[in-house]
Amino acid sequence: MSLLQLNQVSKIYGDLRALDKVSLSVEKGEWVAIMGPSGSGKSTMMNIIGAMDKPSEGEVLLDGRDISKENAKTLTNIRRDKIGLIFQQFHLVNYLTAVENVMVAQYYHSIPDEKEALNALERVGLRDRAKHLPSQLSGGEQQRVCIARALINYPEVILADEPTGNLDEANEGIVLDIFRQLHREGSTLIVVTHDPEVAEVAQRTIVLEHGRIAREVVNENFVP
Amino acid sequence: MKRQKMYFRMVVASLIRRRSRMLVALLAIAIGATILSGLVTIYYDVPRQMGAQFRGYGANMILLPQEENSMDMAAMEAALTHIPAESVSGAAPYRYETIRVNEQPIIIAGTDLQGAVAASPYWMITGELPSASGQALIGKEVASLLGLSVGASFTASYTPAQAETSENGVTQYQTMPFEVTGVLDTGGSEEQYIFLSSQDVEALTGEEGTLDVVQLSVNGSQQELEAYADAINGAVPQLAARLVKRVTQSETTVLTKLQSLVFLVTAVVLVLTMVCVATTMMAVVTERRKEIGLRKALGASNQSIIMEFMGEGLVLGALGGLLGSVLGFGFAQLVSTRVFNSSIRFQGLLVPITILVSVAVTALACLLPVRSATDIEPALVLKGE
Ligand SMILES: Nc1ncnc2c1ncn2[C@@H]1O[C@H](COP(=O)(O)OP(=O)(O)OP(=O)(O)O)[C@@H](O)[C@H]1O
Ligand SMILES: [Mg+2]
Repeated sequence: MSLLQLNQVSKIYGDLRALDKVSLSVEKGEWVAIMGPSGSGKSTMMNIIGAMDKPSEGEVLLDGRDISKENAKTLTNIRRDKIGLIFQQFHLVNYLTAVENVMVAQYYHSIPDEKEALNALERVGLRDRAKHLPSQLSGGEQQRVCIARALINYPEVILADEPTGNLDEANEGIVLDIFRQLHREGSTLIVVTHDPEVAEVAQRTIVLEHGRIAREVVNENFVP
Repeated sequence: MKRQKMYFRMVVASLIRRRSRMLVALLAIAIGATILSGLVTIYYDVPRQMGAQFRGYGANMILLPQEENSMDMAAMEAALTHIPAESVSGAAPYRYETIRVNEQPIIIAGTDLQGAVAASPYWMITGELPSASGQALIGKEVASLLGLSVGASFTASYTPAQAETSENGVTQYQTMPFEVTGVLDTGGSEEQYIFLSSQDVEALTGEEGTLDVVQLSVNGSQQELEAYADAINGAVPQLAARLVKRVTQSETTVLTKLQSLVFLVTAVVLVLTMVCVATTMMAVVTERRKEIGLRKALGASNQSIIMEFMGEGLVLGALGGLLGSVLGFGFAQLVSTRVFNSSIRFQGLLVPITILVSVAVTALACLLPVRSATDIEPALVLKGE
């Protein structure tokens, strides 16, 4: 059984089919990239997979459970327990320090543990920046804090929407190295990107166009 | 680390690290709390303040003999035991007799001169109050009639009633010399009298005599005054206590009007504070839409979001209340010294009450903005800026 399975999923805004009968399955431990032009429905798909939005039609099976018709409260619990989110705009709480931002995710999930949060920052190479506010961190560092926060509760799936969109080459490299590390440890990664270089390092790339899966490319040269 | 600890860490961080924003909300609450606690202080202190003012207008209770010659000093002392000592701002026993000075009939009033001045603070005296035997305070009209002024002397002659006609056809009388120490100006009938100490009147007349009237200046509401009068009338048969209605009633009317005005202003201020805090919190919520979306994306329940914003609001409410109760006392003090020329008592109980009220008002004001915060969609965070 796949970790994640989308069956004939559509998201309809008025006349617009932002997603149009998309079917997709992702195995546990897989690293999938999603590409496509602007407006093709990538973020819409991420929202649905991440339990932040519900599809208009179709079913979404996460761990074998259909989450497409759950109420808001259940979806909140699913996000909390199973999903790790990484955003293009980082979205750190600007009045909390790096380590506190990581602890926020722990706080909603279970019990905040500063030591564990510091270890997560260590993994992304930011142990010495733990007490800095987001405004005192570079974009790349902020994104790494965001990754540490996404990892902290050992989610089933890590969803990243344009994680390198606001980063320079060097920082992009650092983030991709962290992804590689996560993949080696068995994490499931779904990464939306415009950048072919980011897509190339994944095992498989799915290309969306006008809300449909236009094609799927398996990366022959994938280095685990 | 405990969850509560993290909760407080977040609330405190939000308040401290976003202090410029929070200061606006704090200011709104503190100003509301200041005016609130100031007005409440005045509300409760006004009766005392106004009472003191009204006491300036003189006696508001008088004691009269029930029968001819029935009231003496002992009866007055008995009556005074029915009024709390600290409420009596002046008590003046009066005994009136007629004497002659240069053959002019003049009324003398024997009294406790200190008590008389205390009961009638509006008296204007040129010179001094008599402080020793043989000294007199004379009314302004008496002074011009007899051509007397401060420092002058006169001889009082008194004819006892039973000795009106003597054996040899010559009127018997007793005389006593007096020195004028002060001239009294009241604008009233007192200007026609000569005021002597009770002891001097006794010495002049050779009789102990009885009191004709006792003037009392008492602090208290109309109800309290009525209760005192009833108690005296029930317990001391020699005399009758009456309220000077004109004074007590106008006192009560003015007080009621003033208090209802203060009450109204307080209510308006409370509503304005609430609107102000609600607007500020609404702005805070709007400004933090992304953060709320993010927290929800991380799995925060609506309840957690409400708790966090309420926590911030309540801390602000408590701080604003504390600040306001301190500033409010200053405000009340200022009003009191400017308007009533007297200082106000610090009401310790008002501090916790102000804090409680401003916490409650803030909570109420936050209700709507915080509710709207829970409507924010987590999907918001994946949308571009
Ligand atoms: N809430 C919404 N209401 C109406 N239309 C929407 C809404 N959200 C998205 N859309 C539309 O759905 C389509 C897909 O949007 P989506 O955000 O998924 O695109 P995307 O692939 O993420 O694009 P980009 O690369 O620019 O981020 C777009 O045409 C967009 O205008
Ligand atoms: Mg997008």
